[in-house]
Amino acid sequence: MAETDIDKTGHEPASRDVELFAHDTASKRLLLSPTVLLVIFLSVVPLLFSGYLALSRFRFVRGGFEVNFIGFDNFEKLLVGSQQRRFVGNLEQTPWWAWALIALFVAAQAVMAVQAVRRSPGHRVRTAVLRMVVLAVTAVLVYVAVRSLTGEGIPGTLVVTLVFVFLGVALQYFLGLGLALVAAQQLRGRRLFRTLYLIPMIVTPVGAAFLFRMVTDTSKGPLEPLWKLAFGDSDFTWVNEPWPARIAIVLADTWQWTPFMFVILLAAVESLPPELTEAAKVDGARAWSQFWLVTFPQLIPVSLTLVLIRSIEAFKIVDLPQVLTGGGPGTATESLSLQALLEWRAVNLGGSAALAYVLLFVTTFVALLIVNYGRRRAVARFT
Amino acid sequence: MSESTQISADPPKTVTETAAATEAQPGWGRALFGLGRNGGGRSRLAHDPLALSPRARAGAYAVLVAWSLIVLFPIYWMITTSFKTPLDVNSGPVYLPGVDFEGTTEAWDYIINEEPQTTRAFVNTVVVGVVSSLLTLVLGASASYGLSRLEFRPRLASVVAFLAGIAVAVATTIAGLAWQMGILLGLAFFAASIATWARRFEFRLSNDDIAFWLISQRILPPIAVVLPLYVFFQQLQLLDTRTALIVTYVGANVPIAIWLLRDFFAGIPVHLEEAAAIDGATRPQTFWFVVLPAAVPGLVATFLFIMVFAWNEFLIASVLTSADAQTMPMLVVAQNATRGPQWWNMSVLILIMSLPVILMAGFLERFIARGLLVGAVKG
Amino acid sequence: MTNTAWRKTKAWRLLAVLLAFAMLAAACGDDDDDDDSEAGSGTATTAAPSTPDDDGGDAVADDDGDEPSMSEEPDATADDEPSMSEEPDATADDTMAAMSFDGVDVEVLTFTGPQIAEPLQRYAPVFNELTGANVQVTTVPFGELYNNILTDAATGTNSFDAWVFAPQWMVDFAVPGYIEDLTDRVAADADLQWNDVAPFFRDFSATFQGSVYTIPLDGDFHMVYYRSDVLEEAGLTPPRTWDEYLEVAEAVHGRDMNGDGEADYGSCISKARGQQSYWWITSIAAPYVQSQGTSAGAFFNLDDFTPLVNNEGFIRALEVYAATGEFGPPDENNLGVGDTRGLFTTGRCALTLDWGDIGTLAADAETSTVVDLVGSLVTPGSEEVIDASGSLVPCDSSTCPHAVDGVNYAPFASFGGWSGGINANSDDITKDAAFAFLSYVSQPERSNQDVTVGATGFNPYRISQFENIDNWVTAGMSQEAAEDYLGAIGASLASPNMVLDIRVPQNQRYQQVVLDTVLAQFIAGEFDAAEAASAIYDQWEEITDEIGREGQLSAYRNTLNVTR
Repeated sequence: MAETDIDKTGHEPASRDVELFAHDTASKRLLLSPTVLLVIFLSVVPLLFSGYLALSRFRFVRGGFEVNFIGFDNFEKLLVGSQQRRFVGNLEQTPWWAWALIALFVAAQAVMAVQAVRRSPGHRVRTAVLRMVVLAVTAVLVYVAVRSLTGEGIPGTLVVTLVFVFLGVALQYFLGLGLALVAAQQLRGRRLFRTLYLIPMIVTPVGAAFLFRMVTDTSKGPLEPLWKLAFGDSDFTWVNEPWPARIAIVLADTWQWTPFMFVILLAAVESLPPELTEAAKVDGARAWSQFWLVTFPQLIPVSLTLVLIRSIEAFKIVDLPQVLTGGGPGTATESLSLQALLEWRAVNLGGSAALAYVLLFVTTFVALLIVNYGRRRAVARFT
Repeated sequence: MSESTQISADPPKTVTETAAATEAQPGWGRALFGLGRNGGGRSRLAHDPLALSPRARAGAYAVLVAWSLIVLFPIYWMITTSFKTPLDVNSGPVYLPGVDFEGTTEAWDYIINEEPQTTRAFVNTVVVGVVSSLLTLVLGASASYGLSRLEFRPRLASVVAFLAGIAVAVATTIAGLAWQMGILLGLAFFAASIATWARRFEFRLSNDDIAFWLISQRILPPIAVVLPLYVFFQQLQLLDTRTALIVTYVGANVPIAIWLLRDFFAGIPVHLEEAAAIDGATRPQTFWFVVLPAAVPGLVATFLFIMVFAWNEFLIASVLTSADAQTMPMLVVAQNATRGPQWWNMSVLILIMSLPVILMAGFLERFIARGLLVGAVKG
Repeated sequence: MTNTAWRKTKAWRLLAVLLAFAMLAAACGDDDDDDDSEAGSGTATTAAPSTPDDDGGDAVADDDGDEPSMSEEPDATADDEPSMSEEPDATADDTMAAMSFDGVDVEVLTFTGPQIAEPLQRYAPVFNELTGANVQVTTVPFGELYNNILTDAATGTNSFDAWVFAPQWMVDFAVPGYIEDLTDRVAADADLQWNDVAPFFRDFSATFQGSVYTIPLDGDFHMVYYRSDVLEEAGLTPPRTWDEYLEVAEAVHGRDMNGDGEADYGSCISKARGQQSYWWITSIAAPYVQSQGTSAGAFFNLDDFTPLVNNEGFIRALEVYAATGEFGPPDENNLGVGDTRGLFTTGRCALTLDWGDIGTLAADAETSTVVDLVGSLVTPGSEEVIDASGSLVPCDSSTCPHAVDGVNYAPFASFGGWSGGINANSDDITKDAAFAFLSYVSQPERSNQDVTVGATGFNPYRISQFENIDNWVTAGMSQEAAEDYLGAIGASLASPNMVLDIRVPQNQRYQQVVLDTVLAQFIAGEFDAAEAASAIYDQWEEITDEIGREGQLSAYRNTLNVTR
């Protein structure tokens, strides 16, 4: 994630500045190896074990349990078998414009890929292969997402998770940015606000989920009079419709995680050189274009890092849907993590591990996209 | 402008400026909300060309207050719910204790005095949260420092060989060998590889590759690793101990610590260390007396972030603990049992477990701002 | 040198910050400890294992004098408790004193209460004092219990000697041999009064393959509750069948039932995902599907283990289930049973389907506004049942041998009632001590009081419990309500056509994963009833094929006491 940081910060310490420390072998071992070993034992080894679990069937037998290797059956079940409808969704009655959208996206990606290959004469084959993989995976994701979200389609847990991530992270980012810009002004008591705004992040996520279940309850929650006012006796509640239910979850997620965006963006805004923003204040009419042309570009690198970090966490969303809706109505708010958790609770360990692996794959893919095609380029351009 | 703005506008001064700022800090009480902060700052405000017009100021306050209401309303609802009886909750919304319902402290009394697990869970949460965060900080700081000062150039081939060795160990264990044997075989494979084919490949990894790999571990969905972790700690007979939780949380949070601290250390000018080295300081001395003090804001901000994660974690705790090491989130979830959520008890538990962290965040607010400024902001 | 000096101060400042954290943490811990010690040792003191005797003493004293101010227990019962327990306890003390388990540690696992855990934690210190054993009751959240026990047993961790869990899960423990066969111990224990346990719980719920594996502590089955005042006012009689249930619900839906001027609901049956929907649907489907007695089974064909869902009876049940939603609260699809209980006891519903809990909850004036306005019924039946081909046919003497007035009733013992089982891998002496403890809690001297108290979560499961109305009247019910409630329980327990919950290995995958998900999809309109039925059928078949059809079939037969 931080490949280019060193060039940017200009410290480039390893080779030039601290020649006398750079090859201190004892220090090297002492400083890095505990962390690396810990991560290997707590992440890499367990991951290998559950990789095997994902390819197996887990059974209880006399005196213990057994794990039988079954190949890709667990994955097959998700992609084309009985869990397809729940995992991939229902792709029916897609309108023509959705097809057009998919075609447009694939075409645009293909054109960009060809250009990228042309631009890199040195590593044509490598670039081409990488681009092909990226194109294939994004095309599949877009195809499934568009078809299951339009017409008679019903999104599965994969697409629902993507919806949570994109809507949630976007909302949190823009709210956080807006608040940071306001809070960066010279206002008395802004540190009070800054502390207040941190509170949602401190509430334990399951607690926050239950809290929102209380607050959004339409019959005994605090907003009951508002519901009555808005919908009268029409019996509308957010829990019965897929999109309102999803939005409720995104809003709860936003309540909890906007502080994360806010506090770091605020620090970033405050660290900007004042000359950059001064002009905007003098000529209020051009404040927007000043922000757009001067301030915002400065914030792009940190923004992309934030989006990256938040997306990684958001892909794991589980407490909110589990507590707020149990994944309902139907499977409308069921995330990948929740599906894996439900299988795990029912001791279908192979199925659960397979879902976790799919999640890992999608998250890694999106994270790499952000790093390689967003962040790296932005860093190169704006700093 | 606040002193924090000056710091980053002029990086080389960071350390002295920070020190000066800390020196000037009037005390914990005033640090809390910053309302009565140093008069100098405010007098500068008056002449500041950036000062807002009254209308803009009112608009800004309106926005900030509006978001405060959004933030605080659910909290307010939780506080009132903790003083309600089941009947108050179930028969429709009531808002103000003493006005439309009679407040009662029954839920507080129950959780604090009658629920035997509250104390134990709270102590566990504090111990696990604080200890694991401190350890994470130690590991994260040394790793980040190492990555920003030293040059690591491991051969890709050796790394592959090492990972393959682990895979061999795992595979043989799965195949039914005792795990000790598995580890031995893995090590043997690793050693053999290093001695033979791995020598031929010269491609080496850089510091950035290592950092990226470490940080990317955060992608791992916890559900993917809980069962292996359970078996792992069972073999070590560490199930249902704080140790197991602490170790796991350190592993899970160290990526975040590295992400936040790496640029922070990179931003501390190297010439300070060189000067110390010329004065005859040993390397540990330099690290302890020169580097760490300069990094306090970053360390504190990082500490707070990772402590929030460790303090609140549920899934791993629910698998690795059953009694003695249970933490507060387990109790919160347990309030939703066969009789539906016990909102009143749940509210009390959430308030009890959040309050210490909220207070801590209030006290450390100035550190957070400054810590993030130099750290994460660089991206 | 000044430079170094301030560097040192900085280091000290860092240390100070760290120390401040440590102190803050410690202070928080201390505060809490203080609170606890001021409060004395509470009703249950699992946290202090070192001095079982003292704890036991305290806890007893607490029960006698110190009325817990918060708990949901009505005053009357807690005041009664000492007086009731004096005499029977004396005999129990004698028998218990004869057993000595000095220094035997017994770890008991159940879910975090207060229900179920509360009585266990209350009795543990008493039992410890009597026998010298050291019983520790540990709790985990309800959702984690099943896989916690299974992982613990399967990996050979064996952290626990006894589990208080759902007998529905028993097969998952009995088939791999994780759980101890208690047949001989039960036979040898006169104080347990095994014959007082209602036949269904004794012969089916606690039994697998002809052997006893669990001791019932609670009796769980569904009943329908109605607001007697509302039905009377509307001139309606309580429903006998699910069709009548819908008629009544429709007739009273929209009336104001609690005097707050707002329209209330005809029927409240929670339908949220991940809650209890898969149990409700079984209660509705059972009378259509099971007509030949308990041993016929309501879930699978006893010959080839094909699911009994792709038939007219189950599809009809799905339609009824969806139709109840039309007369329910608008957000019913996101309510769990805790929510509907709150709604019913605050007078907002005319009908509801629930376990025995409503009886005691509605009688508790602290949480209920409908004291003495509640009637109890055996779950409605059906005048049609499925035949061998899966078509609905009218009831006659051959299709419905157990019908009452032409209606086939099939009360559903969903979940099966919290029961205690013992880890087969514990030491013999520990097993004996664990058994003695579970028996102690189940013995009528204690359980007959406990079942009348809502906060214990224990519902009646012994014959003596529903024959002896006095206990219930003392607990706060009116004579009439108690007779009505116990009458419905008695009728359910006496039914030869009671339905046993799905008890096959990995039943949680059948119910919590497949049935629950498809029901939610059906309610959300993603499937119609026929599609839902065939989706359940296909996915159940898939699980069966994965786990092994033969093993599943033999487990299913064993649990129903069928030999072929």
